[in-house]
Amino acid sequence: MDETLARKKVVRHPKKPKKQPITWSIIKSQNQLIWMSVPLLFYIILFAYVPVWGWTMAFQNYRPGRPFSEQKWVGFDQFKFLLTDDNFLRVLRNTLAMGLINMILGFVTAIVLALLLNEIRKVFWKRTVQTISYLPHFLSWIIVTGIVATSLSINDGIINIVLMKLHLIREPILWLSEGKYFWGIVGASHVWKEVGWNTIIYLAAIASIDPALYEAAEIDGANRYKKMAFVTLPGIKATIVILLIMSVGHVLEAGFEVQYLLGNGLVVDWSETIDIFVLKYGIAQGNYSLATAGGIFKTVVSITLLLLANWTAKRLGEERLL
Amino acid sequence: MGTEQVSPQKTAGIVMKKRIGSNGIEPVLFNTFNTIFMIILVTVTLYPFLNTIAVSLNAGNDTIRGGIYLWPRQWTMQNYKAVFASGTIYDAFWISVARTVISTLLNIFLTTMLAYTLSRKEYVFRKSITVIFVLTMYFSAGLIPGYFLIKQLHLLNTFWVYVIPSMLSAFNMIVIRTYIGTLPESLIESAKIDGAGDFKIFMRIIFPLCKPVLATIALFVAVGAWNSWFDAFLYTSSKQELSTLQYELMKLLSSTMNSNSNPNVAAGIGMKENSALSLVTPISIRAAVTIVASVPILCVYPFLQKYFVVGLNVGSVKE
Amino acid sequence: MGGKSKARFKLSLIALLALSFTLSGCGGNNKTNSESKGNTATATAAANSDSSKVEPFDISVFIGQAGQQPTPDNKIYKKIKDELGATFNYEYLAGDLNQKLGVMIAGQDYPDVMTGNTKLTAAGAYIPLEDLIEQHAPNLKAHYADYWNMMKDPNDGHIYILPNYGVYNGKVNSTYYSGPAFWIQKAILKEFGYPKVKTLDEYFDLIAKYKEKYPTIDGSPTIGFEILNNDWRNWGLFNAPQHLIGHPNDGGVVVKDGVAEIFADKDYAKQYYQKLNEANELGLIDKETFVQNYDQYMAKLSSGTVLGMFDQHWNFGAAEDSLKTQKKDERTYVGLPLVFDTNTKDYYRDLPVLNLNNGFGISVNAKDPVKIIKLLDALMAEDWQKTLAWGIQGEDYEVNEKGRFIRTQEQRDNAVDSTWILANKAKTIVDFAPKLEGSYSDGNSTGADSQIEEYQAGLKPYDKEILDAYGFNSYVDFFSEPPANPVYYPAWSIDLVEGSEAKVVNTKLNDLSTKFLPKAILAEPAEFDSAWSEYVAQIGKVNVKAYEDKINEQIKWRIDKWSK
Repeated sequence: MDETLARKKVVRHPKKPKKQPITWSIIKSQNQLIWMSVPLLFYIILFAYVPVWGWTMAFQNYRPGRPFSEQKWVGFDQFKFLLTDDNFLRVLRNTLAMGLINMILGFVTAIVLALLLNEIRKVFWKRTVQTISYLPHFLSWIIVTGIVATSLSINDGIINIVLMKLHLIREPILWLSEGKYFWGIVGASHVWKEVGWNTIIYLAAIASIDPALYEAAEIDGANRYKKMAFVTLPGIKATIVILLIMSVGHVLEAGFEVQYLLGNGLVVDWSETIDIFVLKYGIAQGNYSLATAGGIFKTVVSITLLLLANWTAKRLGEERLL
Repeated sequence: MGTEQVSPQKTAGIVMKKRIGSNGIEPVLFNTFNTIFMIILVTVTLYPFLNTIAVSLNAGNDTIRGGIYLWPRQWTMQNYKAVFASGTIYDAFWISVARTVISTLLNIFLTTMLAYTLSRKEYVFRKSITVIFVLTMYFSAGLIPGYFLIKQLHLLNTFWVYVIPSMLSAFNMIVIRTYIGTLPESLIESAKIDGAGDFKIFMRIIFPLCKPVLATIALFVAVGAWNSWFDAFLYTSSKQELSTLQYELMKLLSSTMNSNSNPNVAAGIGMKENSALSLVTPISIRAAVTIVASVPILCVYPFLQKYFVVGLNVGSVKE
Repeated sequence: MGGKSKARFKLSLIALLALSFTLSGCGGNNKTNSESKGNTATATAAANSDSSKVEPFDISVFIGQAGQQPTPDNKIYKKIKDELGATFNYEYLAGDLNQKLGVMIAGQDYPDVMTGNTKLTAAGAYIPLEDLIEQHAPNLKAHYADYWNMMKDPNDGHIYILPNYGVYNGKVNSTYYSGPAFWIQKAILKEFGYPKVKTLDEYFDLIAKYKEKYPTIDGSPTIGFEILNNDWRNWGLFNAPQHLIGHPNDGGVVVKDGVAEIFADKDYAKQYYQKLNEANELGLIDKETFVQNYDQYMAKLSSGTVLGMFDQHWNFGAAEDSLKTQKKDERTYVGLPLVFDTNTKDYYRDLPVLNLNNGFGISVNAKDPVKIIKLLDALMAEDWQKTLAWGIQGEDYEVNEKGRFIRTQEQRDNAVDSTWILANKAKTIVDFAPKLEGSYSDGNSTGADSQIEEYQAGLKPYDKEILDAYGFNSYVDFFSEPPANPVYYPAWSIDLVEGSEAKVVNTKLNDLSTKFLPKAILAEPAEFDSAWSEYVAQIGKVNVKAYEDKINEQIKWRIDKWSK
């Protein structure tokens, strides 16, 4: 069966379009495509790119309310403050670590759940499970972290009770007091809150797989796992790869809310992220320049990572973003 | 695009009803395992929501003690009364509905249209436009320049500030483009041979075929539009009649938190009056607010869900 | 962070000064404009007063805190509109104040009136009020007469904000202490025969004894002592040492002979944290104390199992309310002004200080500042003040045969019902506008809460028993009568100036304390010293001097300008 599919793949492999020079005749023949996209291009340039003049703030000691001409230029001082702070490396490490953990856990759990949901035969049950699993998405982080903190408590926290009952631990653990658990707790909280929501996009991809392929596979005698591996997964692979590339660029977006809400003095070495740092030393100090510098730093890293991921995908012959 | 996967001839993700190969005990085992797993999942993900409901129905003064799990200890409607006490949330509800509906429709149409053009391999600007859009996901100009733009466009304190700045999302565009890439090229080619232009192909063929992914994107956009309060906070906060539900609820919640623990207010002499407000505490108001805010959008969900959970049956796609 | 950044700091100070001169110049222009406008306005007002017609006008107000819109038919606002012509359009903050101010300032989008904020002052968003008050507001002028110099902005000497709290008139009745103290459960005092607790050692001895005798309370394990350090609620961990040496609340510094220095790394701080370390070794401190969030802290307090903590009273008022509803009055708390040794006089309770930070200011965008100041002035009249604070006689309060204001139980219940307040009280004006505090000319208190009759009507038998045992009238009597405030007081209200190094250092110091103090407290007693030295060494790396210098500069300025 593998071979049949593999052969199909080869057959369907479209030719790579050749690079074409832009000529009037092409533009004319594509005028509908141009009308359908170029106005939107102007729109996005206006709303996303024009405001980027604001990045000049990162090189100033920006004070709101003063005209642009009266702002003080300070060169790279803001970046220097950010990058040379004693805590910066630690904060960067935490951000990357939690970003990566969230990304990987997020992907694996969402895909596995999508596959398992797809195996449920009863439509009603499937819809029920799916609906319920995405409910936590609608709760704010403050509610979710509240429940997390209560569950991890040493007084009647459900996690400690269950682990004690299972004899996995001898006495309750003060989970939030130890740095080594912190990243895991943040990752698990993310999964809990978002797994159902993240699954939706894969379910949509699965919904578009041609049932004929399953039937063909069945005739070939494929069992459940083979069908998962050779029909479902390839069917959603494009989605997975594209989402993966996009989220590699977002790995610095580990956030600040969860860490802020769950963090405390004892785990601060593991909990502080770039966003928290920028919030504390930027916005809260009225230093919008530092906040902008932090944003630029993150953008540079993000786009580098994105291009790297895209390039890797290209090398591996996978779906690409760009 | 769409190089690797097996492209379906028909886009009909109908549910397979046939029982799969009766080879022994394995299916039973799998199904048992799967059911148990799903039950655990449902329990774990349902709990926070049920807990929030229980807290919202429990007296604030009592909730503060903790220990509310699935059932209220002291029933009260006080928290909901407090939410509905201010008359402003009714108008705000309709503003929220309007912005959500308009945003969703516009987004779906524009994003899909753009995605279609960028999925056409022959399109000369394909690559450059794609790059320009994708990059927007990774930077933000910041609060203040964004505000200046909105101000210069005279969108401050208008309804359209809820819609226009977020008519398109690069992320959604990529998701749709990826999806379009999995549709059979032959469909478009044959339409072209029949003399259809790109816009017609988009409207007649691509749009209807994209239902599962459009349902997903519609959900993303609708939830985003419904839940957002930041634009109301920044751009329309001085115009009460444009306030949205989320922003009104946000205000209510902040004011409850404020009156319960405000050093400045409490610094006055003899300040006992404030604490009496703790009939409704921040925890209980937050719970009630969460329920009030999410129930309307949850009601929409089943209508969209059927497209991506059950799969769609488009009948004969091939002309 | 060496000399270079200091130079930059100086430069920015100079820039700021230059800016404020330019701004005051602008303010001056505005002023002359408004003056001429004002004169005509007065003239018209005078002409109109004959026909006793009020001209309706709108005032837009930004409140830098969360709040709720009053109902459209709110009875007090209706009265204001009918009699004074003004309609208030409020915009309350929901979300992050810094973000909101950032865009407001950047876009210069100000309403007519805004609550005080140093960022807005620094951006020149307010107009100077001195001349407006002089010329148009006799009530306000009399009200603020003694405080005039204190209201001036330290950077340019103008008055921008009308303080909303801290200006006192007549006898000040105080029945409720809302500030910092070491708190102890009433049950403990009763158990041990109402001892007089003066020192930290006595306090922890009592807690240890009680915990030993009652290892559980209502079935849950007894918790000896709680230290809350969650987000901005950090005083539970940071602030106690200054009080233990008999110093009032100056925030992060102790001021001796007009010179401020941080106390976080001083020996008396060490003494306190070492005591906590010992208490922890004895199992008196909650294991979870540094991990818990505010909600968890409040849950423990409301369960009645926590014997004591260092906190500010207003911060846990809701927990006490919950205990009272549960009929656990004996588990509510008494505040104790502890010191290290009996020779030190306690100085926790202070005389009310002027609140410079969040009263009303008039923005540069206000079309008719004269009208606004006149309105605020009219509201300062005693009759209006009574209407704002107490409500309408016969509806919201009664007057007995002695002329004292009292309320029926129903009126008391109304006053705490948030829905009722929206329709029947001008809460935002009461909170933020200039107001009389203390007592009216007829001797009644300026608020129901400080009216002694009202306080005693609300006193529970359990509380009467305790107060009688100590021979006190209210729990405030546990604290020494405060001396006159030092001229500069309090240092915590000093504006460190946005973006200054002093402000950065302040944040860094807080970060260090949050990180290292819990470590030291939880350390094995033998390791306390090394944990402490590490903390002190870390503080040594921070430019503490920049922080202290800024505060000292301001203290000097205050002593200079505020001394009468």
